[in-house]
Amino acid sequence: MAVGPVLSEPVIQVFQDLTIVVFAPGVSGAIAKIEARFQGRRGPRVAQPYYNLAKLFRKETLVPEDASWVFLAAPVAAFACYLTVPLLIPVLTNFGLPLGYMGDILGGGFILALAGFSIAIAAAETNAPYAQLGSSRAMTFSALIEPTILFVTFAVALITATDLPYAEAAANRTSLAAVLRPAHLLAAVAFFLVVLNDTGRIPVETHSGTLEFGMIDEARTLEHSGPALALLQWGSNMKQLILYVILINVFIAPWGLSGSRALGSVALAIVVFLAKALAVGFVFTLIDNSFSKLRLFKITEFMAGAFLLAVLAVLVLFVGG
Amino acid sequence: MNAVLVAATSTVAVPSTFDGVAESLTVVILLSEFAMLRAPLSRSQIRLYSFQSLVVSILAAYIAAAKGLPDLYAIAALSLSLKAVVVPVVVLRLLRDARVELVASNRASVTSMTLMAIALAVFAIFVIGGLPVHSSSLPTTAFGLSAAVVLVSFVLVALRSDVVSQAVGFFSLENGVSVASLVVASGLPLIVEVAFFFDLLVAVVVFGVLMRVHHNRTDTLSTEALDQLKG
Repeated sequence: MAVGPVLSEPVIQVFQDLTIVVFAPGVSGAIAKIEARFQGRRGPRVAQPYYNLAKLFRKETLVPEDASWVFLAAPVAAFACYLTVPLLIPVLTNFGLPLGYMGDILGGGFILALAGFSIAIAAAETNAPYAQLGSSRAMTFSALIEPTILFVTFAVALITATDLPYAEAAANRTSLAAVLRPAHLLAAVAFFLVVLNDTGRIPVETHSGTLEFGMIDEARTLEHSGPALALLQWGSNMKQLILYVILINVFIAPWGLSGSRALGSVALAIVVFLAKALAVGFVFTLIDNSFSKLRLFKITEFMAGAFLLAVLAVLVLFVGG
Repeated sequence: MNAVLVAATSTVAVPSTFDGVAESLTVVILLSEFAMLRAPLSRSQIRLYSFQSLVVSILAAYIAAAKGLPDLYAIAALSLSLKAVVVPVVVLRLLRDARVELVASNRASVTSMTLMAIALAVFAIFVIGGLPVHSSSLPTTAFGLSAAVVLVSFVLVALRSDVVSQAVGFFSLENGVSVASLVVASGLPLIVEVAFFFDLLVAVVVFGVLMRVHHNRTDTLSTEALDQLKG
């Protein structure tokens, strides 16, 4: 579909970032609404996350006595990381954009890990028990899920001979056989479990819980306030949407992306992507409502399961799957 | 830039749609074997076995339909009725009489059992999958995967010390062997395949008697009670 003026590639790249920045809180709000409906509640407004952000940006920032400048720099650094990743992944287009080849899947993973690292450092600085507990847990579990991410990357590398998310998406679009091959299915399911873990969903973490002992990612931000907290919350919404982009547009449904640089087609791609993100969010809320949270020391079993899938994906590739 | 993308795709040749589906079904069979390894309840192990047998019969029916081998429909039907329905129902009934819910004990933690089983699966997939066996019905990958099912079921039998796990491990080993036989000889005479099923039925009877006798003597289903000498 080639409707409207033709955009230049850098402009489309800015659109990719804007899609993530602008719609991330909205998608989170919509998922919260779906979740509430499942539980028989009416739930908050879909726009509630935007109101929360607006409120937090108007509040003052309090810093714990022992914290240094790192405490305030971390949210900004994390936010910058989350702004960088959408440049590397196919958010709207099925052709590579100028900066799209600056990093591969591992590169994107490193940047996401850097964001997690800076938030964890800030939490460790606060001298507050729950934030430090969250920081240490988050780093432990991200180290445990790392082998799975690596093996998914290996599977992608073996399938496409590159590590580029664009190439994997292109490989999946070639034929039905490419989607049904066991290596792809296993890698996709393994990555689904990684997303489940990284977005703080059941069975790893209760994503809207208020009990500090069960918290992993959520506990890290307990000491932050005001605009810093707003950036962290916005960032965590963006991280969720970024992971959805990789899951949807690289692994499970790389269709409906814009094939041309026309404004109409890019706009359509945004709408289609949001619909797909809501569909995936729906599946996540289904899982949230039908399983119970694992005990903290049982989470390794979940990770072992995800690792199993990723390893099998690589294995069957070696014998021609 | 996009020309580069197209040229770079597919280092490993994409299997055909039939091969892909058949291999994915075999992978599901292997994964349910892994799930049995971690299942905390005897009941859920048996249900997983039933599910695994269901997938085996779906695989057989799929090959029958795609390759035009009517014999396999009979095997699919037999495997569906016996392995997915009758055997699980019989074992579940035995279990209900025994009133033991949890699998008695693990000799290793779930995570280390899983890692050990992954290592064995790697071994099986590479060694057996590397054999120059070419079959008209199923890709060689499925052969390696079925060997992995057999080895993982050995882990289940060796590392979980209760009668139900050993029975389920043995039965699911038979599932692995049926998949292997689908690969190697899907044109096997029906009578040979049927003989396998009778073998399984004998095993069910033996394990049923074992469960009963063991439970009557020791009041548990754990085989660890067998170590103690009776004075």
